[in-house]
Amino acid sequence: MTNRLPAQPGEVIDRSTSLSFTWNGKQMTGYEGDTIASAIAANGVDVFGRSMKYHRRRGILTADHWDPNLFLQVGDEPNVRAGSRKLQAGMVVSTQNVWPSLKFDLAASNQLVGRFLSSGFYYKTFMRPQFLWPLYQKILRKFAPGGEIHWETSTHGAYDKRYVHPDVLVAGGGPAGMGAALAAADAGASVLLVEHYTELGGHLRWGDDAQRAKAAELAAACEAHANIEVLVDSTVTGRYDHNWIAVNQRSHATAPERLVKARAGVMVVAAGLIERPYVFAGNDTPGVILAGAARRLINLFSVKPGTKAVVMTANEEGDGAVADLERAGVEIVAVLDARKGESIVAVEGRGRVSKVQVNDGRMLSADTVVTATGWTAPTSLLNMGGDRPVYDPVAARYFSNSLPSNILATGGIAGDGSTAELEAHGRATGELAANRSLRRRHDRVSQTARSGAPTWAKPEEVADSRTPLARNPHPECYRSTTHGMVDFSEDVSSKDLVQASKEGFDSIELMKRYTTVTMGPSQGKLETVNAASVLAEANGVEMADIGTTVWRPPYSPISLGALAGRILEPVRRSALQDWHEAHGSTPLLAGQWVRPDQYGDAMAEAANVRANVGLIDVTPLGKLDLRGADVPKLLELVYVNKWQKLDVGRVRYGAMVAEDGVVSDDGVTGRLGEDHWLMTTTSSGAGAIWEMLEDWLQTAHPEWDVHVTAVTGGLTSINVAGPNSRTLLERLTEGVDLSADAFPYFSVRTGKVAGVSDCIIWRIGFTGELSYEVHVPSGHALHVWETLLETGVDLGCAPFGVEAQRILRLEKGHYIVGQDTDGLSKAPTAGLGGLVKLDKPDTLGLPELKHAYGRDDLPILVGIQTVDGSIVPEEAAQIVDGDQNTILGRITSSRMSPTLGRSICLGQVDPSLSAAGTEITVLMADGRRIKALVQEHHAHFDHEGARQRV
Amino acid sequence: MSETTMHSPVDVGPLTSPDGGVTLADAYATTKIQVRAGAATAAAAALGVSYGRSRRNADGDLVCGTRPDEWTIYGDPGRSGAISATVPTEGFVTVIDITHGRAMLRISGANATSALSKICNLDLSDELTPNGAVFSGSLGAVGCDWVRDDQGGQTSFLISCERSFGKFLFIAVADACTEFGLSIPAGWELHPH
Repeated sequence: MTNRLPAQPGEVIDRSTSLSFTWNGKQMTGYEGDTIASAIAANGVDVFGRSMKYHRRRGILTADHWDPNLFLQVGDEPNVRAGSRKLQAGMVVSTQNVWPSLKFDLAASNQLVGRFLSSGFYYKTFMRPQFLWPLYQKILRKFAPGGEIHWETSTHGAYDKRYVHPDVLVAGGGPAGMGAALAAADAGASVLLVEHYTELGGHLRWGDDAQRAKAAELAAACEAHANIEVLVDSTVTGRYDHNWIAVNQRSHATAPERLVKARAGVMVVAAGLIERPYVFAGNDTPGVILAGAARRLINLFSVKPGTKAVVMTANEEGDGAVADLERAGVEIVAVLDARKGESIVAVEGRGRVSKVQVNDGRMLSADTVVTATGWTAPTSLLNMGGDRPVYDPVAARYFSNSLPSNILATGGIAGDGSTAELEAHGRATGELAANRSLRRRHDRVSQTARSGAPTWAKPEEVADSRTPLARNPHPECYRSTTHGMVDFSEDVSSKDLVQASKEGFDSIELMKRYTTVTMGPSQGKLETVNAASVLAEANGVEMADIGTTVWRPPYSPISLGALAGRILEPVRRSALQDWHEAHGSTPLLAGQWVRPDQYGDAMAEAANVRANVGLIDVTPLGKLDLRGADVPKLLELVYVNKWQKLDVGRVRYGAMVAEDGVVSDDGVTGRLGEDHWLMTTTSSGAGAIWEMLEDWLQTAHPEWDVHVTAVTGGLTSINVAGPNSRTLLERLTEGVDLSADAFPYFSVRTGKVAGVSDCIIWRIGFTGELSYEVHVPSGHALHVWETLLETGVDLGCAPFGVEAQRILRLEKGHYIVGQDTDGLSKAPTAGLGGLVKLDKPDTLGLPELKHAYGRDDLPILVGIQTVDGSIVPEEAAQIVDGDQNTILGRITSSRMSPTLGRSICLGQVDPSLSAAGTEITVLMADGRRIKALVQEHHAHFDHEGARQRV
Repeated sequence: MSETTMHSPVDVGPLTSPDGGVTLADAYATTKIQVRAGAATAAAAALGVSYGRSRRNADGDLVCGTRPDEWTIYGDPGRSGAISATVPTEGFVTVIDITHGRAMLRISGANATSALSKICNLDLSDELTPNGAVFSGSLGAVGCDWVRDDQGGQTSFLISCERSFGKFLFIAVADACTEFGLSIPAGWELHPH
């Protein structure tokens, strides 16, 4: 570790714990507490990577999270910010975006043609000829920056999320932020203190003894305070409406990254200031670093940043850097005081700075240039609250203009001051934040039903009486007399910006988009102010007249993994699903439900239903328990048919249409008692129909006595279908006469099945067979299911899945809403003619229904059979006009029928083709055109219903 | 009802972290009676609890004001008839046993709130959600009815959802508890590898 200094007073490394790692294949060691970058630098490395476009050598610039030159590949993880990520033993660290090596990077030849790669190069060059774009794309992708992902072998654990509701969220753990947190917490507010670095303290951490002592004192107080939760190595990345605040927590014991979603009463922005680079020729040469970087390297990581340094300083940070460098044994070749007009003009050097040209004409020999030329106020979070910061030419930085009452600013972003003054302003801000947030909390508690009344008095509102922080004069140091790099992430120089202005992109927003300046991973933190300055100069106007770009979330890039968090995709399982899986069913995801598609042979399962008896789990059917004297009125309103005269013990099929007359749902509803009904809906429509009923009841007819209760999961629905179904049920049913006379088709009874009470049995026939749907209290469903199977062994009882059911219903010609109908299918299309009663006083969609039945151009749903019965047209295959391509309909359902030994279909056709016997042409997916005939009925089998009415 | 055993959608547990900071248990068998009635009915007066709050009645049943004009009464398994019989039915009142239709879990312990806050965006702090609070909200992307029902001075929530979501909900909550030391039985991982 050639550049490692002796122990420094404030170092954060643990010299007793060495960590081995590799850097571009070379074995190195660092210490516990090192960042990846500090460890590599300690080993004497100057060049960490290559720039994005020109592949210029790049070294440490800021030595922290924002460093645009320290994006490295670590193992299988690309774009690791080596300036902030802590070193771990065994890390395999390498440069990104170089080939074949960091030292000899072929793409560096871009520098030779750099004059042709100026801003707008892509737009100007790759527009024409258009047909070559795929080729351009292929080549350009080779030059795309960034590392490599290896998702197939990734060993990262699951990312995570968390929700918090602090009264006060403080963004920034420097002296002002910690002061704010402590004052707010002392006032009784719950506080979430978010610090970007891995430790609290802000700039005090790399300051003098007194500053470090103060940082430690405040940090200890924050960590010990019961009302404060501290998140370090975390960044507030976004502020959204009503103080919905996103925090990216980068290090956590159980997740590689965590998105903390905070709903805060008041956000205190204490984000400090970010040091920005100075623009001059060669300012991206390795060895040119910011004063803060030099101080962090020396004081936190005990790394000597160079041997001979020229320091350009315009402020105390630069002055402090001079002292630190001298203490670290770095020869100070010259100190250029920008307050006196001294500055750097250019540096020379390839792998490292070798010479420095000064504006007084001197050419100095040095390997290090340290600049301290001013600050970017990271106003991003303020902007997200609606603020448009204003430039102050005296202080040479931006300040907030107007903030909403739930956002407050303190610390460097609000002004200048000593440590004590910053802390005091922070404390005053914390007290104000606590007052506002506690008043809000009092309102929330008193207005929330579950909370009860607050046990404390609402605080009186206090005015904002904080003494503003000073705005110290600071020279406007942005660019020297030469051109240099403005955006290190995107390789955008001041020359590019001037050129853009000349081309007419002379507003800050247009220039940003044209040149991509501020659009890289730094997101403007280092380059926004310099870019505005260069543009102002190019336009010949003042900085204040240039304006700013709009800072949007995220403030700091966040991984997609953290945004996704745990994948929560609920699935619904019937009480029998475990049984289905244990008995070899193939799972089928139908909406949220997982269902048994088949148990091995769907055709055989269907045949068994026709020959013997089968059981299918149809629990996903929506089921709504309806109670009250006015239920018939509700049914009359939502169904197209009539319900007032349905007798107790009877069930009826019903269809619903929406206001536009489009078929929306269907099902069977039974009258269990005088004021007690059970409605079934389609599986996918269950939730929507429930909401729709409640909507009508609560808004249009609150006077009706109707209570609706969803019981879909509470009743497990078992369809017992087949010629032996009655015999099977008779063996297990108590209290219900199942004979044809006593229990006719479309009837409902309640009774005991397999010893289970309160079962609802209705006789319907979706499969076209004698069948009963048994609705069983779900806790006992497995018992009933297994008992039915055991009892029916001699009757050929076997389970059948959804696929067999689809075959059976298609043989019978029963349509499925949403499959055989679509978002345009009105009642006449679905063949509801006899069912729809247009003479009712009111029905949902009635005007549209009347209109639809006056039309003769709506498609018609028909039964279809191919002439060659061995061909099964694909569902959604188009029905066309012979050899022409005019579309005249489509196949909506198709299967091979085991009963008929041929293919069968339902399809929507143009009315001109709907007559029985019409020959139609079906265009197959492979391009063949096959002939088919329209059938007289939807049903391909037992049209009269003889099998189900026995 | 029947003599057969009730099968829960959650066939595991209870699970407890080694430090006892969080315990997750299935509570499906809890009797759950839903009452719908207007505020002016005798039923509403007898239930005696407002929307958003709960109370233990003399029989030890937990009476919850689940939604406006809707209550849920939770009791020991097998008490459906007994509980239903206590509700006056004068006027338009509906009493339904929803025991079978609602999966239910109980999560308890010092870390229960923190675990739930990983997959629920509601403010579960003591002040906003004190003992006795009744509310509805999404947990793990599943719509749930909640009761804060502390036990032995320890934070505890009774959470129910539509039965078919029960297994997923239990898995999602268990996954959230792993940060606090809960071990997940094989086959019950949210994202099995």
